[in-house]
Amino acid sequence: MRQIAIYGKGGIGKSTTTQNLTAALSVMGKHILQIGCDPKADSTRMLMGGRRQASVLDALREVGAENVKLEDVMQIGFGGIKCVEAGGPEPGVGCAGRGIITAINLLEEDGAYTDDLDFVFYDVLGDVVCGGFAMPMREGKAREIYIVASGELMALYAANNICKGIVRFAERSGIRLGGIICNSRDVENELGLLTAFSSAIGTHLVHFIPRDKIVQRAEINKKTVIEYDPGSNQAEEYSKLAKSIIENDGFVIPTPITYEKLEELMIDFGAIE
Amino acid sequence: MPLRLLDCDRSIPERGKHTYIKDSSEDILPLSNIQTTPGDFTERGCTYAGCMGVVGGPVKDVIHLVHGPIGCAYWTWGGGTRPNLSDNSNFHRKYCFSTDMQEDNIIFGGEDRLYKSIIEAYEAFPEVRGVFVYATCAIGLIGDDIGAVCRRAENEIGIRVVPFNCEGFRGCSQSLGHHIANDVLFEYVVGTKEPEYTTDFDMNIIGDYNIQGDLWVIKPLFERMGIRILCTFTGNSSIDEIAQAHRAKLNLMHCQRSTPYICELIKKKYGIPYIRASLFGIEQTSKALRDVATFFGLEDKAEEIIDDEISKVAPEIEEYRKKFEGKRIFIYQGAPRAWHWVKMFREMGIETIAAATTFGHEEDYAKICERVKDGTIIIDNPNSVELEEILIELKPDIFVSGLKEKYLSYKLGIPFMNGHAYEKGPCAVYSGFLNFARDIEKTLFSPIWGMIKKGDVNSHGELGRCEA
Repeated sequence: MRQIAIYGKGGIGKSTTTQNLTAALSVMGKHILQIGCDPKADSTRMLMGGRRQASVLDALREVGAENVKLEDVMQIGFGGIKCVEAGGPEPGVGCAGRGIITAINLLEEDGAYTDDLDFVFYDVLGDVVCGGFAMPMREGKAREIYIVASGELMALYAANNICKGIVRFAERSGIRLGGIICNSRDVENELGLLTAFSSAIGTHLVHFIPRDKIVQRAEINKKTVIEYDPGSNQAEEYSKLAKSIIENDGFVIPTPITYEKLEELMIDFGAIE
Repeated sequence: MPLRLLDCDRSIPERGKHTYIKDSSEDILPLSNIQTTPGDFTERGCTYAGCMGVVGGPVKDVIHLVHGPIGCAYWTWGGGTRPNLSDNSNFHRKYCFSTDMQEDNIIFGGEDRLYKSIIEAYEAFPEVRGVFVYATCAIGLIGDDIGAVCRRAENEIGIRVVPFNCEGFRGCSQSLGHHIANDVLFEYVVGTKEPEYTTDFDMNIIGDYNIQGDLWVIKPLFERMGIRILCTFTGNSSIDEIAQAHRAKLNLMHCQRSTPYICELIKKKYGIPYIRASLFGIEQTSKALRDVATFFGLEDKAEEIIDDEISKVAPEIEEYRKKFEGKRIFIYQGAPRAWHWVKMFREMGIETIAAATTFGHEEDYAKICERVKDGTIIIDNPNSVELEEILIELKPDIFVSGLKEKYLSYKLGIPFMNGHAYEKGPCAVYSGFLNFARDIEKTLFSPIWGMIKKGDVNSHGELGRCEA
């Protein structure tokens, strides 16, 4: 079982990328558990055909920790993917970080991590703002991290920051960076910039996903591209990403760069003047 | 060598700066009121404990709602450690509640639970005149807006609902909690009610918590002088008394570590002066009475009372003094009592050879230094290993401290009296002084000490380390 966490700046397309990736993997016959680690609980929406499901923390609140049953919080989505949402508080109250910790612990206690699984994916909200959002990086959880980024300064800035988090946890939990996934924004020289950035932080670009309107169309239809139009170019791109991840053997402790270095990189590639 | 590193502190040499041997030729104070040295197994409490347990908690007619996990609540409800008496029909700290925060309340936020708890507690006890809400550590982390919840609840139930942001982690000891309680009570309560009438002889007693009824012997002394006590902050106090405290003519400050803040605030805003007092022992109590009398122009009356009181207790105290003469004491208290009591014990014939406080500031140590003789050990924030070393080395005739040190002292065969909670108080002013002396006698001359062969065991049960 490979446990993988997907991080990246908020709004970068983590959930879209993750769902298309897991959908592609499922088509290849892989058994997958996808856990949304975001209080918004929208990480598995397209896999579930738009159906909202009760989150782990909703269940915890309603019936109490001892009475949460796996079947109440784990639904089967597209391609037999087991879909879970950790859930969390409304914006501005409580502690979402503690929520992630509690939800993952509950899933472990309730036996969500079965031996038949090939992959467990954690789709984690934006920045690693506190210890709770680093939960998937902790010992015994995800071993691989992929960062979704694009050719914009703030996306790379966030990716670089996430790398700092990985370094922190690398020694004690053995977690490694598997690479950067570019979810293209059609920025000039984006491929070159992302390749250079990846190499600067000691990793590689796993795949460059071009921008395509079909992603939004599929989303409006509450489907992944893999399900909505399996013959499309974009479905092919996600399948390539899936294949790269299956075959990936480049796992590193990243070497985050300074903000100045990042800016230089952006200037070199004409992304900023 | 004024500062001294105890043997047990060789691995944490920073502690040497907290331990001072008094030498009057120098101007040195031990380090105090700073963060605990790593490795020091401190006995300090937290900011919440200082706020709720010491200052807020004694107010008798409000709901005390601890917003946090259940464990924060017990000790601050006065569970044997702080007998703050009140006239709540012998049910002293009557209205104690906790929101008992659970995992899901932490994740989803505790504001709803807090609001419901306030309403529920109020409905169960509609006779209360207010609600005090205390935030614990967890609440500070999850960011519950207890101020907003309190305002909403106040609108609903129509009595004062007061938020104390006294999260435990905020200070280096419980001391900051006292300060926060002072600030909050000043901001939310003081000045919110006018007394029915005022007199020229209205006074507040600030910083007495009515431990075992101290106020019940303090108050009548001043009343006999013709003074009206408007507010006792906060021993046996009602919230309305605190609300009208701004109309007194004078504040008399007893505990000078936990209440100088409110005395200053009231002075600044309402122009009411304050005087500091020690209400322990004959000399200090008489001085306090005279100071107050001078302020109000009641000198003759004060002298009458002082003569009368002294005539009632002096002969007995003299008897005790004869018995105690030459005895040596180690005083370890929260802060001010360590110096309040040096003179009081001297009146009993007992000399202080060691003094310590848990959360004293520089001015407390300055006052200790002023009062003790050269050679006295003064230690800031001692831990039990340090206390053991001092007790074994100095072999005081009696150790006056609190519950945490009681059994250490017993195991070392050193007579112990509880100074925090008292044995059988009250212990303040003249009549309380007799109780104090009586309990010192009982302790010193208990036959049990003869049955324990000193030197048999140290506090770990090891043989032969402590010599008689």
